[in-house]
Amino acid sequence: MSEPVITVRDVRRSFRSVKKEEGLKGALGLILKPQYENHEALKGISFTIESGSFVGLIGANGAGKTTLLKILSGLIPPSSGEARVLGYEPFKRAITFRQSISLVMGQKAQLWWDLPAAEAFDLIRAIYEIPMPVYRERLNTLAELLDIQKHLHTQIRRLSLGERMKMELIGAILHWPKVIFLDEPTIGLDVLAAHKLREFLRVFNQKEKATIILTSHNMDDIERLCSRVMIMRSGEMIYDGNPDGLTRKGERRLRLRLMQNPEAGELAQTIGMPVSAIDIGNGNDEAATEAAEEARTFHIHLKTEQIVPVLQSVMGKYTIIDMGIEEQSLEFVIQRLFEGTKLG
Amino acid sequence: MKLQWRLATLKNGLQDATAYRLEFLIQILSSALVPAAIQSVLWYAMFVLGGKTDVAGMTYAQMLHYTLTSILFTQIRGGDNDFELAEMIREGQLSNYLLRPVGVVEFVYLRGVAPKLLIAFFCLLAGMGAGWAIGITPERLVGAMFLALIGNIIHYQISASLAAAAFVWEEAYGILMVKNMIVSLLSGELLPLNLFPPSMQWIWKSAPFYLYVFGPTQYALGRWSHQEFLMQLGVSGLWLIVGWALIRMSWGLGIRRYLSLGG
Repeated sequence: MSEPVITVRDVRRSFRSVKKEEGLKGALGLILKPQYENHEALKGISFTIESGSFVGLIGANGAGKTTLLKILSGLIPPSSGEARVLGYEPFKRAITFRQSISLVMGQKAQLWWDLPAAEAFDLIRAIYEIPMPVYRERLNTLAELLDIQKHLHTQIRRLSLGERMKMELIGAILHWPKVIFLDEPTIGLDVLAAHKLREFLRVFNQKEKATIILTSHNMDDIERLCSRVMIMRSGEMIYDGNPDGLTRKGERRLRLRLMQNPEAGELAQTIGMPVSAIDIGNGNDEAATEAAEEARTFHIHLKTEQIVPVLQSVMGKYTIIDMGIEEQSLEFVIQRLFEGTKLG
Repeated sequence: MKLQWRLATLKNGLQDATAYRLEFLIQILSSALVPAAIQSVLWYAMFVLGGKTDVAGMTYAQMLHYTLTSILFTQIRGGDNDFELAEMIREGQLSNYLLRPVGVVEFVYLRGVAPKLLIAFFCLLAGMGAGWAIGITPERLVGAMFLALIGNIIHYQISASLAAAAFVWEEAYGILMVKNMIVSLLSGELLPLNLFPPSMQWIWKSAPFYLYVFGPTQYALGRWSHQEFLMQLGVSGLWLIVGWALIRMSWGLGIRRYLSLGG
């Protein structure tokens, strides 16, 4: 096992914000007697990451993912605890540290709106002192991988979201960072653009051995790229391990279509399970779609050893038109984790 | 001192400022002509309609010379980088710059000053071309422009220090607007500062703002001796040191409070 490039020990971070009540009274109160509230964004996070890893950092909104990335990239200091990246204390923001890392935030533009990307890249080349032949070679490689060559001389404001995101990514890694933090890089991208971006990240990680931490709400990103997943909930790390480990905890999804079209409650009673274990539709949506309602496809989340007794109960009362046993999707498992349900 | 990224930043700032050339020109012309027009109307009212022969020791012609010459330096005075900095701190866009291996305050300055340098060059040419009519010598014009450029740096230093208030106070805009109003009055871009009553001259003399427009104009017009000019260069050097210390202190304290919002 290689040396860890990132070490995080009991990192905590809290923020204080002003609480404002509604209306004029609230506005006056804000001036005369402001009320503050503390929010603990990170509650004692610890982990290490080895060189060349591709790690997925996931969690619901407000789980603390971006705060963690900001601490690791040196934008904000932790309230307590210790973080080290490439042996540096990030918040000291040593020049050599900044030359070795990169942070891409899907929601924040780093390039200049009115200039073509090529102009911005030229400035980045000068900032990182990249020799011209190396710069040209890298730019060609990156532009080719992301299929964006023809847009290099177009004003950033005139590019589509996907094209802009690709440019942002090129701008962030032209200096060949050893550690890359990606905060929702595929946000708002269409399927094709997201695929291109993912493929590019995979190749870059494999060829350049860069350590990449990726946060994303898109489970496709995580499943296809990350060999390790860290899941955060309310500032705490609730899972750290192989993504397969999440879906191979003996949970399965039994898909059923029944001739009698019973209500979910009735079916739950028959099989002796809670209604929450049954989804109608594709199993991931909270509400059943109209089409799924017509088809009445039930998805029952159960353990492997429950399959036979459940099927026996179902066949004792209903006629099965169609059935199948599926592996639990990562998205479903993570959704359950966000909601606080323990894995079986 | 690494020159490469600094030159590239100047180039980038110039490209950005001139991306929309017509807008760039309109901004320059309006910021030059509006104060000049106001001053001209004021002098006309005082000297022609009011029948005055001199005001604070200056004749009508001298007032007009002041107005015309000060236009050259008003254009060089600092821009709105402080508002940009305060906005970046407030909105979290500062993160983009903090991640790069360069000093963020200097980086923003260089991007902002690039178009000013271009304008300074054209103002210098214009001044040399038309200055002979009112007795401005090329060497005085070059010296005055040099002082105006130092004034530009001092202005940015003070502005960037004030903008650091945005680290702790979201409404730092207010401070910056007040500062701009004070600068307009005490830099000499609206009125020659010798119009101040003698008992109030200390006000503008104790701030560095007169080095932006009034000082360069006085030197260009021959109202400051070379010796006075050298002394004022020394004063501006002291202000540069004060400004540098202010930035170090305000940003050193402020950056610990930065929240990098919006991500």
